[in-house]
Amino acid sequence: MKIDEIKTIVKLMSDNDLTEFKIESEEMTLCLRRAARQQTAPAPVFVPAAVPAASAVPIPAAVPAVQEPPRAVSADTGRASLNPAKVIESPTVGTFYRSSAPGAEPFVKVGSHVEADTTVAVVEAMKVMNEIKAEKSGVIKEILLENGQPVEYGQPLFVLE
Amino acid sequence: MFNKILIANRGEIAVRIIRTCREMGIKTVVVYSQADEDSLPVRLADEAVCIGPAPATQSYLLIDRIISVAEIGDVDAIHPGYGFLSENARFAQICKECKIEFIGPTAEQMSAMGDKASARETMRKAGVPVTPGSNTVVPTEEVALEEAHKLGYPVIIKATAGGGGRGMRVAHNDASLIQGFHAAMTEAERAFGNGDVYIEKFIGNPKHIEVQILADKFGNVVCLGERDCSLQRRHQKLIEESPSPSISAALRKKLYEAAIKAAKAVGYTSAGTIEFLVSGNNFYFMEMNTRVQVEHTVTEMVSGVDIIREQIRIAAGERLAFQQKQIALRGCAIECRINAENPYANFAPSPGVLTFYSAPGGPGVRVDSHVYAGYRIPSYYDSMISKLIVHAPTREEAIARCKRALDEYMIEGVPTTIPFEHFLIETPEFVAGNYDTTLIERLMKNGYFEQQSAIRKEIAK
Repeated sequence: MKIDEIKTIVKLMSDNDLTEFKIESEEMTLCLRRAARQQTAPAPVFVPAAVPAASAVPIPAAVPAVQEPPRAVSADTGRASLNPAKVIESPTVGTFYRSSAPGAEPFVKVGSHVEADTTVAVVEAMKVMNEIKAEKSGVIKEILLENGQPVEYGQPLFVLE
Repeated sequence: MFNKILIANRGEIAVRIIRTCREMGIKTVVVYSQADEDSLPVRLADEAVCIGPAPATQSYLLIDRIISVAEIGDVDAIHPGYGFLSENARFAQICKECKIEFIGPTAEQMSAMGDKASARETMRKAGVPVTPGSNTVVPTEEVALEEAHKLGYPVIIKATAGGGGRGMRVAHNDASLIQGFHAAMTEAERAFGNGDVYIEKFIGNPKHIEVQILADKFGNVVCLGERDCSLQRRHQKLIEESPSPSISAALRKKLYEAAIKAAKAVGYTSAGTIEFLVSGNNFYFMEMNTRVQVEHTVTEMVSGVDIIREQIRIAAGERLAFQQKQIALRGCAIECRINAENPYANFAPSPGVLTFYSAPGGPGVRVDSHVYAGYRIPSYYDSMISKLIVHAPTREEAIARCKRALDEYMIEGVPTTIPFEHFLIETPEFVAGNYDTTLIERLMKNGYFEQQSAIRKEIAK
């Protein structure tokens, strides 16, 4: 199976919101699994069939995940599965920064304790730096965006314990 | 030509703009409120960014958020659609300062025409006939009374920053003038953030005829014909058609000349519409709309011109692709605005879920809509869910086609204005092309619509 064929299958799965695809032949078995509504395309898992003892068929290296062009600037990864009470969302549109200036210490890290008025990030919009407050208290469990990523209104930024 | 355009709007006009962008190979970014997450433009655009909760004042009207999206999305130009920020000179100015092309006129042209009172003055100086009225904003009751006495009743008080039929009151005497003066100011303040009003002589039973123009940045102005928009209910247009069935060829020629004169008087660029009030053989400049309009589709059908495409080309610095003599207006086009309103309950807006949706088709039928089966019509925005436009070689055929298409249009889950529009195009006044802006009100008052509906129900049994 060629990489282009795999790419086609991956795209078909994404377009039709399929979660699993499996094909078997004499030479190989291919199984692709994806979680629906995710931004990144599924990472293909290449499972070689049992190799006849006589000839050693080289096992191809894992195929790298095919990146789909982003459907939206935001990543609605598993938004449905997050508990809104434990999520800090962006109140505006712009570019997400984890610290007040390049090279400075990030406002919070995983494990940081925050109160309602703790500054957790900065969202830059039109050259204006908007300080984002936690608005909730808790401990940072997960940071959902990378420094410099674009962010939209309502997009989850941090998950609390 | 632009690489990427941001559409700062929603609903059917956002879909309209996306369509032309795709045909031109231009990438699209649409901004949306949380109420529009499942909307058609969000699904069709190449990129979509949420900019706020449902209310327009917290999303579609937030200039900083829209510009933010333009910056992070690396956008070349913004198309504002109609309504929202499309006639906001400050927004146009900010786009210019941020080196993002605003697809529309300049802030200066917008201000010149957006301030209705001073636009009248500009037109008067350019030799375009204007309705007799105050040359400036009327600041007090006393001045209002003075103007009204000078003009002679009846008069109409209008918001200078107004549009969409709001901030207007007719007065027949001193008492109603004072009351109307204050009522118009309050409504204008609330709707447009500007309570300034001016006064005009009220032309009874006028026809509302507007002329579409396109102008490039090289001084070329082309007229694409007129639209008769007299069929209005509470100053909201319901059915529009081109050409107007009741004006003479001579008057038509004068309207076109006046429209071109008006556009050139302010060095206008992009698409624009000059609205006239027509009474008998007299016509008066009413106002100029410095944006693409809802009913631009009617003109597209008779002229064959893609107005959105031309707007984009003009904004990108290209010359108009055609000269006036190459414009041939053919046939007759009629548009029905389909609103999610209940015509049997005084047109009460009725948002909800569309349980069934099937649009008409066939020759000469165009549907511009953002809805689909299963779509939930949000309650935060206007009630228009679709525009049905028909085109045929003659007006008679166009009316028959319109009737046929309205009959074919199946929408369930919410009431729509379709039954009323069907009724309207069968009235002798409409068929004769002999109607003015008072027709719908008169028909509703006389109860003919309810009568007709009752008869239809009987026949159907």
